[in-house]
Amino acid sequence: MRLAALILTLPLLLWAEPEFYGYFESEADVMQVASTNYNFGYNKFRLDVQARPNANVLIGANLNIQQYWGQTTWNMLDFLPENIWKPIFQPAFLPDSLWVSEMPYIIPDTLLLDNAYMRASFPFLDLTLGRQQISPGVGYAWNPIDIFNTKTLMDPSYEQTGVSAIRAELPLASRLTLTTVLLPKNSWDNSTKQIFLKTGLGSYDVELTAAEYFWERTSFTGVDIQLAETKRNLLGGSLVGELFEWGLWAEGAHNELDGDDSFFEIIVGADHTFDNSVYLLLEVLHNENGIAKQEDLTFDAFLQGLGGETHSLMQDYAFAYLMHQTFDFVSLSTIAIANFNDGSGTLGPQLDWNIFEDTNISFQGTYSWGADDTEFGLQDWGLRFRLLSNF
Amino acid sequence: MKTKLIIVFILIFSFAQAQDQLAIKIIRAVTDLMSPENMKSTGTQTIVTSSGKTRTFEFESYMGGKGKSSLTRYTKPAAIRGQAFLTLNNADDIWTYFPRTKRVRKLASHAKKQKVQGSDFTYEDMGGGDVFLTKFIPKYLGDESIDGETCWKIELIGIPEQDPPYPKIVLWSRKSDYSPVKLDYFDEHEYNSKTLLLSDIQNIEGFPTALKMVMIDHKERSRTKMETLEVTYKWTPPKNFFSERSLKK
Repeated sequence: MRLAALILTLPLLLWAEPEFYGYFESEADVMQVASTNYNFGYNKFRLDVQARPNANVLIGANLNIQQYWGQTTWNMLDFLPENIWKPIFQPAFLPDSLWVSEMPYIIPDTLLLDNAYMRASFPFLDLTLGRQQISPGVGYAWNPIDIFNTKTLMDPSYEQTGVSAIRAELPLASRLTLTTVLLPKNSWDNSTKQIFLKTGLGSYDVELTAAEYFWERTSFTGVDIQLAETKRNLLGGSLVGELFEWGLWAEGAHNELDGDDSFFEIIVGADHTFDNSVYLLLEVLHNENGIAKQEDLTFDAFLQGLGGETHSLMQDYAFAYLMHQTFDFVSLSTIAIANFNDGSGTLGPQLDWNIFEDTNISFQGTYSWGADDTEFGLQDWGLRFRLLSNF
Repeated sequence: MKTKLIIVFILIFSFAQAQDQLAIKIIRAVTDLMSPENMKSTGTQTIVTSSGKTRTFEFESYMGGKGKSSLTRYTKPAAIRGQAFLTLNNADDIWTYFPRTKRVRKLASHAKKQKVQGSDFTYEDMGGGDVFLTKFIPKYLGDESIDGETCWKIELIGIPEQDPPYPKIVLWSRKSDYSPVKLDYFDEHEYNSKTLLLSDIQNIEGFPTALKMVMIDHKERSRTKMETLEVTYKWTPPKNFFSERSLKK
């Protein structure tokens, strides 16, 4: 279907003298989890095409081809503390011969039409139709008001996958914009709706948002994995500004769920560039939807956390990013993530080198701390090499 | 004797007053020249590091409100294609757009001193407007010749309450058309940290326009060349052009 859509739109794209661009990315990883080493990686090719049939219309699409190598079938139980999965997969009342010690998860090669959209600009409105990247929020590591995406904490600024949506942006006045997003489904009730109102208050940017959608969450019945939907109403907002020469931002959301359940999620962040050009970013998260105590962790909580259905496994986290442009076109940086609820964390020093124009290579190491049954302590260390060449 | 002293004092005071008035007049003329009502241009920016490595960027730039608002969008190389930044209120407010994340982000004031795309220009340097008039006190230092052109040499001392981009700037402006040809930027230790050289000045649509600019960072021993490829002052920005909406296009 997607291929047919591409073939149909191709003549229009060619007529509009499209621009082609994209990148090739190759990554190689070594990771040690619970004393076992894994080698894996991928080669990714992204081709973007953008055409402007006239001054008011933009058509864009991108195709991603991603080939994985090395470890491509993972045992999800390797990433869970034993005390979480053993009672389910190896219960004491069953004989050893019936115990299960694997829950395979296969990462297949992909050929994906990631985005395919058209944006029509009118004097009073920008209308974007189709599969498009929507990235709400101001947080760097977490976005409580973002209901569309999942972020990787070790690389939060990585591009996000498109969602099929109708988006209308109405500039009401200078620094006042109303944005509505609709992800149509089989009925209006089942469709995802989100509305944003963004304005400026002095040197601050303020955004208010409300959303209604069905939140899909994975649970394990003991036999198979099931998806359950809960209606979720979100009311939230964000703020960006500065205080005493530190950039400051906050983003929060109150979420009402069916069955009188509710939770609040908030991040507060700050950044600063020091006189010696060192850049520091700090962000903290409090997520009432996470688990407060380690002993209350469940198998489902891990499934939902690993699958990106929840923004965090537990409640309280901190994220730090330190960067310095140390040599010509070489930057040294470090990411640090701490889980305050189980005392675990990860440190990820990185070297990024713009080796040629449009070509970057990066090396990242990760070292985790915490007990073996904690979120990050479960992983020992990792090494990542990435090459990115844009065209 | 007393009367003579008073006359000498009045003469010195009047002379100093006249010098200050001249400095203000020159800076006002320089500001008018550097801040046309509107401008649209394309150009290249080449960074040359201390080790001689180069990186070249291409951009399109828009300026409005006599330089109080600007929008710059990078068109090349591919890695930063579409990255853009918007400055309002003489670069007091800056927003950046990253196409990879599709996000617009407001930058805090500390970021104004950050290098734009690793160049020797900061976001603040790229902003225009009337900062020389509103954030500095000008002082005429005399006449000097640069490349055979007689220039006024003006010292600009930052007014601390106005948060000037530099504590001190020394500017050389051509007597023939007020075009600035050289600016020395000083840090808080009175160190001449950067120098901007403007050349290939051509009259375009009635405005003497420097088609080449080189910013030299004396501390880093790097330089960034900016060349204007096309420029027009007859462009009129559509209503609300300098907004987040344009930044994302």
